[in-house]
Amino acid sequence: MWFFRSPEIVFGEDALSFLNGLDFRKIVIITDENIKKSGLASMVQRSLPEGSSSLVVSDIPEEPTLADIKKRLNAVSEFAPDLIIGLGGGSSMDAAKAIFAIYERPDLDIYDITPLVKLNLRSKAKLILVPTTSGTGSECTWAAVLSDEDHSRKNELASTEIIADFAILDPALVLRLPPGITRNTAVDAITHAVEARSSQWRNYYSDIFAEKAMELITQNLPIVIKDPENIRAREEVHIGASMAGIAFSNSQVGLAHAMGHSLGAHFRIPHGITVALYLPQVVEFSEPDARESYLSLMNKMPEKFRKGNLADSLRAFFSEIGQPLNVKDCGIDRKEYSGRLESLVALAEESTGCVTNPREASSSELRELFENVM
Amino acid sequence: MPKFPTEEWASEYVEKLNSNPAYKDAGKNWEGDITFVIKSDDSFDKDAFLYLDLHHGECRGSKFTVDSSEIPQSEFKYIGKYTNWIRLINKEIDPIQGILTGKFKLEGSMMKIMKFTKAAKEMVSTASTVNTE
Ligand SMILES: [Fe+2]
Repeated sequence: MWFFRSPEIVFGEDALSFLNGLDFRKIVIITDENIKKSGLASMVQRSLPEGSSSLVVSDIPEEPTLADIKKRLNAVSEFAPDLIIGLGGGSSMDAAKAIFAIYERPDLDIYDITPLVKLNLRSKAKLILVPTTSGTGSECTWAAVLSDEDHSRKNELASTEIIADFAILDPALVLRLPPGITRNTAVDAITHAVEARSSQWRNYYSDIFAEKAMELITQNLPIVIKDPENIRAREEVHIGASMAGIAFSNSQVGLAHAMGHSLGAHFRIPHGITVALYLPQVVEFSEPDARESYLSLMNKMPEKFRKGNLADSLRAFFSEIGQPLNVKDCGIDRKEYSGRLESLVALAEESTGCVTNPREASSSELRELFENVM
Repeated sequence: MPKFPTEEWASEYVEKLNSNPAYKDAGKNWEGDITFVIKSDDSFDKDAFLYLDLHHGECRGSKFTVDSSEIPQSEFKYIGKYTNWIRLINKEIDPIQGILTGKFKLEGSMMKIMKFTKAAKEMVSTASTVNTE
């Protein structure tokens, strides 16, 4: 027995206008400073139902902590919204999920947000997520990541009740995404697709979403990088990223995420860079137990990148788009990295990605995988 | 060949767990005891309990009983019907998916145990290696 879960999805050009026809009166938009500055928050405000009032909480930091969430909760509760919109990348959308849950249930300990606890959310409000990057897939998942106060660890809150009521995928919101972020977030989505397709929890539904995601992203990302305002290609990468989100939300990620999260906790570099750095290594390591999955993924990539196996095909693809494949190119000092190997391994081993990866790695194998990107 | 769940099965399980290097490695930072609760169902007529005292990759004490009053209080309980236990041992159910689908219930901190899923998985894999009748 297993499940398939997804929010209702509104996608394509002008998808944002969907908001206009909804019946909400008091709306909180959770976002970050950059999104506000770029004008995207007011673009969303202009799409809200006539006669509704809105409050924009625009100071969500990168990798929010529990304290960051609590700090913003008073303003939200006082406003008493009937709709919460998370607008932004993973940090803003995850913050919106957490704020939504605690606004609904102030009595709740945040760490009670696990699949084992019935939360009974939605007595006050609904949740809509609107991504402004094409990568995290958070708009489609049932998890939210909050960092420890000292950023040494990430905690995953998970509940099917924090799945958005609607995810809105409007390509206009990613049209002006800077090249670096476009790349780093898209490779995160590629990693979601690869790990979801080969996970030990993979299933009929997640397989289909992962394969289509791989196709949409790898076929269109090189076009987007050359021609950033190509809205058709942007839209396909955007939809691909959300499909990769659905895929891994229903089947879990693997070792590249276990390792990437650990690296991200040790050296604060963007999540997409960390997971893509390890992905080819992890694929090479897992190949004996994931041949069929990897072959079907490779065959979704543009022909010019196919190099006989998925690991080499990914390397060719990442090289073409300028994605770093070793620690030095990620801006990490090799000596410092090697000095932290033990702790990198230990933290990665705490991740569920270790047990859902198609091939399980012992501590020494994991250490080797970390070493291989030095 | 021992039957599941019996005293004999339990002692063979503990022996195998203690000689499984993958468990030793994955559980090296774990401290805490856990009770497996095997609930009766159509195929099994009384509840059974296997208490395991796990410490740094080693099972340093255990107790099997069908009398719940004989079981020490433990930090965690992993509870399921007999038939689901058999499916778990045969690797037809994943231990975490078992919780998420309601086939097993976990009592204790989910947060703590989620950091040791590798150890949990090795515990199940070890159960699969006991020659079970
Ligand atoms: Fe990711």
